[in-house]
Amino acid sequence: MTEVLKIEGLSAGYGPLRVIHDLDLAIYPGERVGIVGLNGHGKTTLFYAIAGLTGWQRGSILLNGKQIGRTRSQGPGRYTHQIVRQGLAIMPQGDEIFQGLTVEEHLDSGAFTPEAWRTRKERKERILRIFEPLRKLMKTPVGRLSGGERRMVSIGRGLMTDAKLYLSDEPSLGLAPKLGIAVMQALLAIDLKDSAMFIAEQNVALLEGKVDRIIGMHAGKLKGEASSSFRLSGSH
Amino acid sequence: MSDLAPSKPYIWKNPLSVWGTASGNSEAPSTRVPDPRDTWRKNTTFKVPTHPVGRLKYFLVWPHHGNRTWNRMRWWPTRRNLLNVKGLYNRKTAIPEKKILDRRPIYWVLSFFLLLIGPLLFPQSQMNALLTAGAAFGIFAAINVCWTLIIGTASIFSLATYAVVGTAAFVTSLLSIRAGVPWYALPPIGAGIGLGFGVLIAAPALRLDGFYYALLTLGLNELFRVFFTTSKQFGAASGGLYGADSFIDQKWPPLTQSMVAYYASLCLLIASLFLFRFINGKRLGRVLRMAPEKHEAFAAACGVDFKRARITIFLLTSVALGFIGGFYAAQYRGVGYSIFDFQTVLLGLAMITIGGIGRAEGAVFGTLIVIFLRDVLLELGPWRYLIIGAAMLGVVLFLNNGFFGIRRQFNAWRAKKRGEWRSTRTEKGGETLPEEATESNDKDALYFRRFDKVQRDYLKGLITPEAIEEHRRQPLGQHSEGLERILLYFRRAKLDDKYALHRAGPQGPYKIIAFSGVRGVSPRLVDDREYGTLDDAYHAVFMRRVHDLLES
Amino acid sequence: MDIAFVIINAITVAAIYGLIAIAVSITWSSLGLVNLAYGFIFSFAGYAAWLVSTEISKDPFLIAGAGILAGAVGGIIICLLVFIPLHDKPAFTSRGMIATLAISLIGSQLFLMIFGPNSKSLPDIFGRWKLKFFDITLTADKIGIVVCSVAMLIGAVTWMRSSRRGLEIRAMMMNPHAASIVGIGIRRTGLYVMALTGAMAGLASVLLSQTYYIAPFSGLTPLIKGVSIALCGGLGSVQGAVIAAILLGLVEALTNKFLGGQFVLMTQFLIIILVLMVRPRGISGLVDKAREQ
Repeated sequence: MTEVLKIEGLSAGYGPLRVIHDLDLAIYPGERVGIVGLNGHGKTTLFYAIAGLTGWQRGSILLNGKQIGRTRSQGPGRYTHQIVRQGLAIMPQGDEIFQGLTVEEHLDSGAFTPEAWRTRKERKERILRIFEPLRKLMKTPVGRLSGGERRMVSIGRGLMTDAKLYLSDEPSLGLAPKLGIAVMQALLAIDLKDSAMFIAEQNVALLEGKVDRIIGMHAGKLKGEASSSFRLSGSH
Repeated sequence: MSDLAPSKPYIWKNPLSVWGTASGNSEAPSTRVPDPRDTWRKNTTFKVPTHPVGRLKYFLVWPHHGNRTWNRMRWWPTRRNLLNVKGLYNRKTAIPEKKILDRRPIYWVLSFFLLLIGPLLFPQSQMNALLTAGAAFGIFAAINVCWTLIIGTASIFSLATYAVVGTAAFVTSLLSIRAGVPWYALPPIGAGIGLGFGVLIAAPALRLDGFYYALLTLGLNELFRVFFTTSKQFGAASGGLYGADSFIDQKWPPLTQSMVAYYASLCLLIASLFLFRFINGKRLGRVLRMAPEKHEAFAAACGVDFKRARITIFLLTSVALGFIGGFYAAQYRGVGYSIFDFQTVLLGLAMITIGGIGRAEGAVFGTLIVIFLRDVLLELGPWRYLIIGAAMLGVVLFLNNGFFGIRRQFNAWRAKKRGEWRSTRTEKGGETLPEEATESNDKDALYFRRFDKVQRDYLKGLITPEAIEEHRRQPLGQHSEGLERILLYFRRAKLDDKYALHRAGPQGPYKIIAFSGVRGVSPRLVDDREYGTLDDAYHAVFMRRVHDLLES
Repeated sequence: MDIAFVIINAITVAAIYGLIAIAVSITWSSLGLVNLAYGFIFSFAGYAAWLVSTEISKDPFLIAGAGILAGAVGGIIICLLVFIPLHDKPAFTSRGMIATLAISLIGSQLFLMIFGPNSKSLPDIFGRWKLKFFDITLTADKIGIVVCSVAMLIGAVTWMRSSRRGLEIRAMMMNPHAASIVGIGIRRTGLYVMALTGAMAGLASVLLSQTYYIAPFSGLTPLIKGVSIALCGGLGSVQGAVIAAILLGLVEALTNKFLGGQFVLMTQFLIIILVLMVRPRGISGLVDKAREQ
């Protein structure tokens, strides 16, 4: 049973500023892992490093046993589209949307493997069952939607392919509490057969009890791991 | 005791055993302890090979400013010195010395000197060809310097420059041929035509930005080409207009004619460079440097009327271009249609691109290269244009801003690489984020964290099987140095989550608990294992702490 | 009838130059590159078609196909030489434009050296039949040109709207960062765009050489006309380019009839400048706001 994601000794940073120091991480199939930490401590950098959207200087990242990205990344984002095709679905922080495309076209754009493209109708139906409010909005351009609806579109887009690893960066960021809970519940209710989900979240309460593991991140290093029985109490 | 391999075994003898008060161990196998200062030094020394302090830019230092560090003389009526010289007294030798901070005027003067004495250096066999090429160089360089003003300083990407020059040349030639206007009136009339043309195409320049305007002027160029090539009075039959009045008398010997043409073009070039200096180097240029592409709104908010500045430059350069057109007609006695060709625009673009857009020296240098390739290496035939095109493509692909932008590009790249190398070398451990470090009021906490890490690194090296065995045999009492250091560290730890022993009864079994560190909160049970004797329990606690230390 | 003749001429001219205008528009809005090397692609496709017509066969489909294919190849060459090395470097737009001009210079010189300055001609691919429609005679080439251009245009637009690649191109126009997250590679999409637009220019070349000849510098006038139409219609919108093409074609035909050939460009540019003064981004160039960062 190979790990879905295995990171060894990763060091990533922006120019002279090193954000992640010698990180080791392994995620197994069927697992839901949450990573918590304050802003600026490297969660988003970690996600971007996995996806190849930022350069990393040392270490190795293995997705399904295959090395993705390289230390001498020639310009961020250069190989991201190839990395994504290895089975990675990323739902970045503050949705990256295409302003002029409709919701339906957005979901279509998420189906980037030929197999997903062929079965996109069923997949869209599946997404709509998870996010009901989108059904009425299929033909509206995404630029006109509210924050919560946009977040749903962004997450739905990430779910269109059968990715091996889902990376979700702060799904509840900037949403009203009720919406945040709803989105998080929808995300956590998805049936992962062999895939793994990796959620970065500041609001630990939303992850309590629903994920298999919670990892803390501080100053670019992983600190402390808690199992699913973890409950908020005391320090840290 | 420094730098010895720490795992050098020896037998430690308990000093208390001499007086017979040692309980348990009178001797124990132990290992030598390395100097803790070594770890500290290793962690905190700066490992980067550093250069002598100061700028990496190398200055030639000239001696003696005549025992003064600055010169009184100014060039009337300005208040300028000749060069930007910085004079100071050398701190070590107390001798006055000077550095020339900006060496570019020297390069300009040298180049002009070479151009001036050029005819003396040309080989006799190619004298005529080289002089003609030199005259063409002068005129095209002047045009390109004005074009650099438009594209670089005023950020108006206009491709209609040669159209302005051509129009002025054609109209003045026509006037000279039909109405007999003398040669000295041609440039001023051309200037007027240039102004008219400029007013005409300045209006769209305000409304359109960037590349829209470039495409529009491309079309305008074509428009003028078609107009002039199909209109009879502008010489449609003969491919151009010929017969205008010139300052070069036909009766002079051909060599003199070429020489006069060469030096006249050089004068034109110098005049255009003066224009560049007065526009770009003074108020207008400075004002426009505040409003680069995409940041115009900010400049406008600061009170910079960049539109007016741009249009002013545009009109001034149109006047200059018209003047050059009139000069062209006066020098060559007329003008052919090739000046409106797309090819000419492309060549002009090649000239300013190869040198670097935005710099006068770039325009001149690029013109030199292209004219050299086109007019001097005639034997290459059609390959000339191929080489010019390839050079243009190569420069645009690899250099950010042409030939004269190489230094800045290289410096930027080197700074980026240095930053990356620096980041891979930081060994401070990343215990605190930079923002945290600056925000926290208690700087002691930061140093404590760092000190703690260095200590832990050192102590990890001291944990050996011998030490553990020594502790197992006698948990309390005098120990060897290595074990003693470890134990002192453990005993100093904060109560927060510190291991302790819980006794069920007076001689009862012991269990390991951990303090919560918070008043009123009871300790938590760490493990269900029970230990019969206190020594066993002490050792168990020690093992847990060792385990935690090795994990951290 | 005179008016009909004028209109027919206008539409024919509009069709050909409109193809190039749309190609320029699509390249600018999806890649951010102003491709001024369409003159090169034009001549490239023309010469390829001529080579096929003289060496291989005179079958019209083959000739047209060769032209389209050569156009696509030319577009890919430009993509490899200009777009891929430069797209992430500073000052990409101006450097890209200058690089395409450099390719134009190199290309036209190469053609001059290889094929000589004499113009070549293509055989009529539409035949010489005529259609009589009420009182108007429509020659085969005019019908063929309009039909082919419109077909290519409709094909391209449909492909852009319904296929995966078209979706990728449109997505990349709007947000290149997000596009890489959904598996859209900028470089690969760039190849598709350049191939498509190159094919359009190749077709335009084959169609235009029914009336004119193929020469090393024959691509310049269509390039400049196409670029002007794209400018007037708005760089980035296909509808704008179509409208502008028809408008400018009408202006050309009318000027030809009433004022004479000399003044065609002048009237056209007058109209273009008027349009641009009123709407600086062209008739419907609103898409461009999304392009600016």
